[in-house]
Amino acid sequence: MGEHVIETWNLSKQYDGKGGCKEITLQVPRGSVFGFLGQNGAGKSTFVRTMLGLLHPTGGKAMMLGHPIGTVESRQKVGYLPELFRYPDWLTGRQLLEYHADLCRLSRSERKKAIRDVLDRVGMAGRERERIRSYSKGMQQRIGLACALLSDPELLFLDEPTSALDPIGRKEVRELIASLRDQGKTIFLNSHLLSEMETVCDYVGIIHRSELVVQGEWRKLSMVKPQLEITLEVPEGRTLVWPPFLSGVRQVRKRDSREVWLAELDREEQVPVLLEALIAGGIAVHEAARKQQSLEEVFLYWIKRKEEEAHVAAHQNHL
Amino acid sequence: MWPLIKITYREMISKRIFAITLLMSLAFLVLFGVATWFVGEKISESLQQESDLKVMKTFFSTQLLGMGLYFGSFITALLAIFSSVGIISSDVESHQIDTWLARAITRRTYLLGKFFGLASLLAIYSALMFLGLAGINQWVGNGAMAVQLTAWQIFSAMGCFVLLPIILVCVALLLSSVTTTVTGGIILIILYGIGFIGGFVEQLGALLQDQSLINIGIVSSLLFPADSLFRMATISLFDTADNPISFATQGIFGTASPPSPAMLYYSLCYGLAALLLALRIFQKRDV
Repeated sequence: MGEHVIETWNLSKQYDGKGGCKEITLQVPRGSVFGFLGQNGAGKSTFVRTMLGLLHPTGGKAMMLGHPIGTVESRQKVGYLPELFRYPDWLTGRQLLEYHADLCRLSRSERKKAIRDVLDRVGMAGRERERIRSYSKGMQQRIGLACALLSDPELLFLDEPTSALDPIGRKEVRELIASLRDQGKTIFLNSHLLSEMETVCDYVGIIHRSELVVQGEWRKLSMVKPQLEITLEVPEGRTLVWPPFLSGVRQVRKRDSREVWLAELDREEQVPVLLEALIAGGIAVHEAARKQQSLEEVFLYWIKRKEEEAHVAAHQNHL
Repeated sequence: MWPLIKITYREMISKRIFAITLLMSLAFLVLFGVATWFVGEKISESLQQESDLKVMKTFFSTQLLGMGLYFGSFITALLAIFSSVGIISSDVESHQIDTWLARAITRRTYLLGKFFGLASLLAIYSALMFLGLAGINQWVGNGAMAVQLTAWQIFSAMGCFVLLPIILVCVALLLSSVTTTVTGGIILIILYGIGFIGGFVEQLGALLQDQSLINIGIVSSLLFPADSLFRMATISLFDTADNPISFATQGIFGTASPPSPAMLYYSLCYGLAALLLALRIFQKRDV
């Protein structure tokens, strides 16, 4: 098996040529947390459900854990927490886990241990003998997470795993994801809660209107549009003139004579040029620090760029 | 497949419809027993006074048992329809199926697990219903109303009786694989109704010697062979095939136009075809 646990080549699942996900080509490295980001209805869940064989692809191909998707082998070591987590409410939490353990072919002793472990991990120990119908939404999501973890999977699909959880529950899930990554598991995380994703993800893929916009290490993606926070002072008789190559600049704050500005550049190489231009203009530069962009900023940047490209393409087609 | 059969058992048992049907079935058997006892008492008294009432006794005993079996078959069919028509579709509609199918199992295993679970439970239920009715007929009131039955008659009649819910499950799984629970339920109830009403029309046609009515019955039996199976069960039980006075001895549940033995094979092929089609469709559909 290669370095990637998931590989897709132009994988599509569309309905009458619309919606779903279209020509998705991506790779998910082993032992990483891969965040799949997109707006509601962008096609994130469709992609996951196609990978798990719940939906049949309309085009392309994909491999999961070294096997073609749709095969039993590809799902052998996979756990899944769906976005719409619904479990038979006539079962108790423990019975649900027992049936899933049976389907995972766990022996009686393995089953007992695995159930105890996952209940502890998701904070449901002591509540497992209650019927699922008496669980709150958050508890149902936790028992769903326990189901997903039961077979000690190599690859875990978590589709909006914290949607029903309170802030403490969300923090616990983030910690759980981090500990799973430390154990060498790969986690494919679907979410539109970007602030949560950026604390746990190593890699991200951004999907917009069914199409994959970009994928890669998110720290690298965040450098696509370098931002520099510059603390400066404009001496008497001097005027602050910003070079024309900046794609954006705004004042963040001002204290006494010192001003803090945030300059947005197009390329990494423009950083020294900008600083040289300021100094040459007689501006006293006290501090210049790279500003780490948030995942939300990265996401919005790529979505905006995609929209602009689509707009240009549409205009050219019109001409 | 065994885990899926177990899940299906538990699902069935936990459904309210199953518990209610069991209780109502017990109530029905008690009522049937009481009725049999009273009729038996009356017949026994009359027989002591007039020994030529033996024909009457045969009439009443087959009539009563035929009635019981008809209603028993009706309850079994309703239970089969309501418990199985949503077995796939309701799980798809609620997305409960997602986590099961995301496991390392094939869709064929999933569907067959559901089939064997449902079919075996309904087979047990219908066999108990049949044996309960036959037992009441044989032993309640010191056997005053007992129809003369051999073990083979009971066995072959029970086979036909048990086959009906199994075939209903096959068709229900097919409908559940292609359509919604409500639509599937409506289609299946209509199919079952056509089969049974068509059967009565055929018997009427045979009595009135009207070929058109007989043809309507045959076509409806081909659409859904519910009535043919019931009539095959009663023919086996009362051993009345080709008996010209069959209708006279069995009243409205008699068989003036017995189904061809080929109907049994047709019914088996019908169920098998529905199950195979269900497998094929379920494997190709998105859930």
